[in-house]
Amino acid sequence: MFAAATQRLEALAATWARRRQGDDAHAVTLQRRRIYILPTRHGLVFSAMLFAMLLASLQYAASLAFAMTFLLAALGLVAMQHCHNNLLHMIVRLGGADPVFAGEEAVFRLTLDNGAGLPRLDIVAENADSKAGPVDLDAGASATLQLHRPTAKRGYVELSRFSVATTHPGNLFRAWTWVHMDARCLVYPAPAARGRPPPAGASLPGERAMQRREDDDFAGLRTATPSDPPRRLAWKVYARSGQLLVKDFAGGVEQPQLFEFQALRDLDVEEKLSQLTRWCLDAAEAGTAFGLVLPGENIPLATGERHLHRCLRALALFAERP
Amino acid sequence: MTTLAANTTGIARLAWAAGLVAAASLLHWTSLPPWMPAMLMGCILWRFGARLLRWPLPGPWLMRILTLTSVAAVLAEFRTINGLVPGSALLFVMLALKFLEARAPRDQMILSLLAYFLVFASLLDGGGPLEGLFLLAFIAVSTLGMLQVGRQGTLLATRPTTRIAGKLLIPAAPIMIVLFLLFPRLPGPIWSIPGTNSSATTGLSDSMSPGDITNLGLSDEVAFRVEFHGQPPPASALYWRGPVLTNFDGRSWTRPAGMRRSVEDTIVTQGEPSEYRVTLEPGARGLAFALEMPTAWSAQSRRHSLRMTSEYQLLIATSDRPNDRVIYSVTSYPNHRAIEPLTASEREIFTRLPAGSNPRTRALVASLLEDDPDAATIVERSLDVFRGSDFFYTLTPPALGQHTADEFIFETREGFCEHYASALAIMLRMAGLPTRVVTGYQGGELNPIGGYHVVRQSDAHAWTEAWTPEDGWTRVDPIAAVAPERISLGLTRGNAAAPSTFAGRIGNLTILRQAALAWDAVNTYWNDWVVGYGPALQRSLLEWLGFDRPRGHHLLWLTVGATVAMLVGLTIWLGFASRRHEHRDPAARVFARFGAALRRREIDLPHPGETPTAYAARASRLLPEARDAITAIAACYLRARYEADASGAALRELKAEVGDFTTRYARASR
Repeated sequence: MFAAATQRLEALAATWARRRQGDDAHAVTLQRRRIYILPTRHGLVFSAMLFAMLLASLQYAASLAFAMTFLLAALGLVAMQHCHNNLLHMIVRLGGADPVFAGEEAVFRLTLDNGAGLPRLDIVAENADSKAGPVDLDAGASATLQLHRPTAKRGYVELSRFSVATTHPGNLFRAWTWVHMDARCLVYPAPAARGRPPPAGASLPGERAMQRREDDDFAGLRTATPSDPPRRLAWKVYARSGQLLVKDFAGGVEQPQLFEFQALRDLDVEEKLSQLTRWCLDAAEAGTAFGLVLPGENIPLATGERHLHRCLRALALFAERP
Repeated sequence: MTTLAANTTGIARLAWAAGLVAAASLLHWTSLPPWMPAMLMGCILWRFGARLLRWPLPGPWLMRILTLTSVAAVLAEFRTINGLVPGSALLFVMLALKFLEARAPRDQMILSLLAYFLVFASLLDGGGPLEGLFLLAFIAVSTLGMLQVGRQGTLLATRPTTRIAGKLLIPAAPIMIVLFLLFPRLPGPIWSIPGTNSSATTGLSDSMSPGDITNLGLSDEVAFRVEFHGQPPPASALYWRGPVLTNFDGRSWTRPAGMRRSVEDTIVTQGEPSEYRVTLEPGARGLAFALEMPTAWSAQSRRHSLRMTSEYQLLIATSDRPNDRVIYSVTSYPNHRAIEPLTASEREIFTRLPAGSNPRTRALVASLLEDDPDAATIVERSLDVFRGSDFFYTLTPPALGQHTADEFIFETREGFCEHYASALAIMLRMAGLPTRVVTGYQGGELNPIGGYHVVRQSDAHAWTEAWTPEDGWTRVDPIAAVAPERISLGLTRGNAAAPSTFAGRIGNLTILRQAALAWDAVNTYWNDWVVGYGPALQRSLLEWLGFDRPRGHHLLWLTVGATVAMLVGLTIWLGFASRRHEHRDPAARVFARFGAALRRREIDLPHPGETPTAYAARASRLLPEARDAITAIAACYLRARYEADASGAALRELKAEVGDFTTRYARASR
């Protein structure tokens, strides 16, 4: 019950903070007015102990007992300042998030910059789904933390609210700030299971004659361009010489494929997208040129990683027009 | 790899906790029965054994049994858990057991609080400068421990921990001093404490039975310290009057009960008065000591009040705090006459002796009276008895039988002040002179460093007081007659038969003696200004600060105000230190703009430690169409930032390139 009440209280406080802070840019310098601080449980017990000590000191009028009580109290107060200061003027930057497939965890990178000449210790970042850290920042140093969010469906997943907190020094106080960055991660459709081959009719009619020649005759190496599929890269050569080369095959390119949304009549929209995702991935892996025909968007035949991501992005953000 | 790191971390944490626990218990080792420190050490050893050698730790049931047994043992030892020492003992045992089972962070928290409390408990009954130093050291070490235990990550290295602890402790010190000086102190306790008489105290008691004592243990403990305003009287006049014993039952002299009359106005003063301030050590049990005869007195604290009995003895209305040091000022006249008018029945009281006791002494007194019945000379002639014969002053006299005076005067002839005072008093009473025994202290050692006199328990003395209608009560000190050097030099240094106390042994070693004197002076200042800091000194501090009629709430506001002011100062100072060093370099600012532009194309900002060249390479890979522009900007930035660029050409070029890049590839669309 106590935990539930605390949670409700925290939610209220967070809403209030959101209202007063507004949205944050992708790089936030933590100013005084947005750093909150409260004693931890340990801190509360510590202050209860100090109160008991104060009573006993008054009772016995013992000077050294007073001295100890006051020294510990002063230590607690100074620790409070240091705890607050441990976050003050630190810069929290969004480092971005790479696209993931639905069902995977989206990973948001946060970069913490300590521009000050003092170290910052025990910094923790936390959102509703994950906790990152603790991390120590030396004077002038930076560190990257990763916050996770689960994904269920394609589209965008928002990072929403997260906190950056610290209990250093001594775990007596917890200082924290809430950050609301407009950060989102692209979620591709989850690829369908392998098995369904691309329909033959999807191929371009003019290129049907090129089907099945002696594909695998190794012809030689040439300099790589960004559009070359990764599986053709000559990694062993790269490891030896540092030069990025591509294996050329005498069989030439495999037959280019055009994947059509409308051709998958037996599936619903999401299943179609999943299936198209699977085919795009397979084609990219095989190094085949491929294209995508969606209602309202055509992506012409091409190869390469950028092309693949372009296709997947289109699939992720696909919206059927009424 | 990771398990090893976790392991060493665990051991380091354990070592920290063990060190804290051992340090916290240190001040109690002497005051508690020896099995308790042994138990603590055992628990620490057990814990380390479990950690390093995989010894089994006690399960919950064994733990419960251990707890119950230890509490029972403490109860058996002290018969109570009330009071400072039994309470500390219980805390001590709990700390040892808690250490044995402390695993979770919550346990460590409880452990650290128990440790703080244990140290705190040892400070409640006073504490000297050494305890003060210990306290500082303990807080410093425990702060290091608190930092380590409070760590979320792995333990910190020693050097940065020490630096952080310093950053916490140095600003804490002035706040502590302000709180110490200004936090309102209460004149009395909050609730009354049940009697704490069990603690053994040394010093004078309310009775005296010389025949029973065969070895007078003299301790070097300080009874009280005296600061004279002006020239102190000569050593031979330093008679510090304490309990006056009037009733004799054949063996013991005891104090009378009740007040006969007020005698304050019966003192006729002559000559110059002596004014001085006395600081009584704790444990005087309501007895105050003053030079004969005191005419005016006042206690420094409102908690204490002094009064005079009908025997010219000063008593303190005892405070509820047995460990208080009582400070009072007295004006005494060494030259005086105490002319109390005694009634016939009172004279009978002061000449009363048990029937049939000391027949040989009675015969001796009878023969003296036959020679000359004059009361004035009978005192001198009685003293002659002790002067003429081979009486011997010793602190280890033989025991005396039924007739103590007979055996002392005619057989053993060995004794210390109590034997002489008692025997003389018996003789004078037999002669019909109202007589009583006065106990107290004689002498006192001047501490030239502190400028005050120290009176020790070894200065305890007893003398006789006889009454005549003309002169009233007159002091008769048989020791001054028998061993005058005892009076002028002090006992331990004046008599070869004295036991070799510490002070006696080092008496000739001047350097050690000087050190002892200096240490005593340190203690005195400590007692006056630190231990003795209470409502009275606080009031004078406020008056010095300019408050006309200081009140409690003045102090409270001052405390709060000063503390808040210091914290605000600290905040400003810390805020300064943590302020971000802004990019002063214009090239870095332009490059940051470029980074923001790339960010719009979903290319991450430079990772920590990524060089501009590596960053540019990464950006080019993700944005191949802008490869040339990106490479050019990176090269330009490096030139503008790190090469001599007096004309600013490189910077201008960088600005142009970045502007160009932004419009072509990364227009701010949103």
